[in-house]
Amino acid sequence: MLPQTRCVIMDNAIETTGLVKRYGARRALDGFTLSVPRFAVFGLVGPNGAGKTTWMMSVAGLTHLTGGSVNLLGSGAFDPQVHSGRLAILPQDSELPPESRPLELLTHFAQIQGLKRQEAARSATHVLEAVHLGDRLHAPIRSLSHGMRKRVMIAQCFLGYPEVVLLDEPLSGLDPREVENMRGFFTRQRGRQTIVISSHNLHDIERLCTHVAFIDKGRAVRVATLDEVTGRAGKLIYRVTAMPTDRAALEAAVPDTTIAYDAERGEVVCHYNPTLLTAEAVNARLLPALLAQCGLLAVSRGDSLETEYLRSL
Amino acid sequence: MKALRDIGLVAVHEGLDALRSRRALVVLLLYMAAALCNMHWSINLLHRLENELATALQLPASERAGVISTALWKSKPFQRMMRQMTRNDLVLQDITGKHPAELIYAFFAFFYTPLLVVLVAGNRIAEEIGSGSVRYTIVRISRAGWSVGKFLGQTMMIGLALLLSGLGAYAVARFRLAGSGAPGLLLNIVQWSARAWLYSFPFLGLAMGLSHLTRSASRATVLGILAITLCFVLSILIRHFSGESGWRAMLPAIGMLLPDGYKMCLWRRSVPPLVSGGVTLVTLGFVYLLAGHACFRKRDV
Repeated sequence: MLPQTRCVIMDNAIETTGLVKRYGARRALDGFTLSVPRFAVFGLVGPNGAGKTTWMMSVAGLTHLTGGSVNLLGSGAFDPQVHSGRLAILPQDSELPPESRPLELLTHFAQIQGLKRQEAARSATHVLEAVHLGDRLHAPIRSLSHGMRKRVMIAQCFLGYPEVVLLDEPLSGLDPREVENMRGFFTRQRGRQTIVISSHNLHDIERLCTHVAFIDKGRAVRVATLDEVTGRAGKLIYRVTAMPTDRAALEAAVPDTTIAYDAERGEVVCHYNPTLLTAEAVNARLLPALLAQCGLLAVSRGDSLETEYLRSL
Repeated sequence: MKALRDIGLVAVHEGLDALRSRRALVVLLLYMAAALCNMHWSINLLHRLENELATALQLPASERAGVISTALWKSKPFQRMMRQMTRNDLVLQDITGKHPAELIYAFFAFFYTPLLVVLVAGNRIAEEIGSGSVRYTIVRISRAGWSVGKFLGQTMMIGLALLLSGLGAYAVARFRLAGSGAPGLLLNIVQWSARAWLYSFPFLGLAMGLSHLTRSASRATVLGILAITLCFVLSILIRHFSGESGWRAMLPAIGMLLPDGYKMCLWRRSVPPLVSGGVTLVTLGFVYLLAGHACFRKRDV
């Protein structure tokens, strides 16, 4: 059951404005402004020390800010009396109590976030099974492998399905099968919870997130939907075997598009207006014209996030 | 109400977690063993003294310890002598009304409880701050609720250790000390466990309060040991230098902030000093804890 609070319905689950966090002379956050839309799966990417973890810790009230303001779920800065059970975090480098058992520990967490004992036990069992730990419910945490502990840490974030979940490097240390399982698990939460994922694995961010923010030197330097960042919505890239000889013929095949050739990458890039054309329609018209001039190796929608990241930062 | 419920949940979880922690369990068992050994060795010493006294008085030596002591304790001339010494029937009653086994256990419990507290609980908070596991909890409960819950959980653990040590000490006395079969003795020893438990509160508050200031478990233990040693040294200095005028007159007031200022209340049989001393010690425990928490409240974790 959620605590009764003064709550303003808003489109953003998290709004942070001008956050400043100083550690001595160093500024971990330097005017960090970012809004996370409700129900978004939001990726934070950036170099080491950019401020991603500090931002998450500030939102969860674990780090005290030097300046700026946080508005979480329309009810101000994090306050456990107001936000208990509504926000969960997977913090980086945080161990679980080694003598506890996963089921007992997660039941305890669920109880202190407001669930009744039976409901808490049910929720704990459910999330532990979801992360494939159904057979280790009563094993001491010290006896679990690193990956299993990580999965317990992820599972505790989804107890009672809080409105906001902050995940700091959630997939690091997991084996490929579990990475795939966790991707599926996060994907199933789309539209039900607001999830913020900080990761250096851009491939994961690209697969999981609807929005992305590039963080550098304590600031959000670029914030957009993933489609906007990668150009998925209005850009098709054709990797070709040779430079097309007649670009005008290509443009004539699909009016209202701009076609360019990137010699360095060996790619033909087609920009189109997604409100007028679909990717399928562009392909249907452009591919015959292109194949008449050169061979085709691959087609992709937009750039990869990695390409954009390297271009931006 | 929710805050109280959450504190209770944290306390119960902390108690169970502390019990499962091997180190705490080892300390608990060592404490119990020490209580048993203390009773055993004290009875041996008592027996040797009684035999030496019997030899000096040319009386037959007793086979069991405590026979002469109990007789001496109950004798009218001895009580008259004690009354003349104390000039206070209440204090006389308090002293002579106690069985030797009670006194042996009480001295042990009061002397070693601060050490037990530091070894069992001194590092619990620092350990969680250092490992980062506190982060999972304080997004669900207030930091103050967490601290108080941990504190109460540890008081349960200390209470259990004292109860077990009392029972163990009684068992040794029951078989080795004459006159220990009296039905009230077990209850009296358990009462001494409870009194020592009240005495543990300020030390627990001090150790756990200091534990908020560091991320290192071993540093927290060292801080706890130093603080408790400082408490004892200060108490001794205050007793030694207290006077009726000038700065010496201020010293007893400072002594009231230390646990030893109330220790003697717990030795009294009458209820009012016992209750007032107990309440003050529990309050002191919370004050020390919350002083440490005040630093933790605004800290990054």
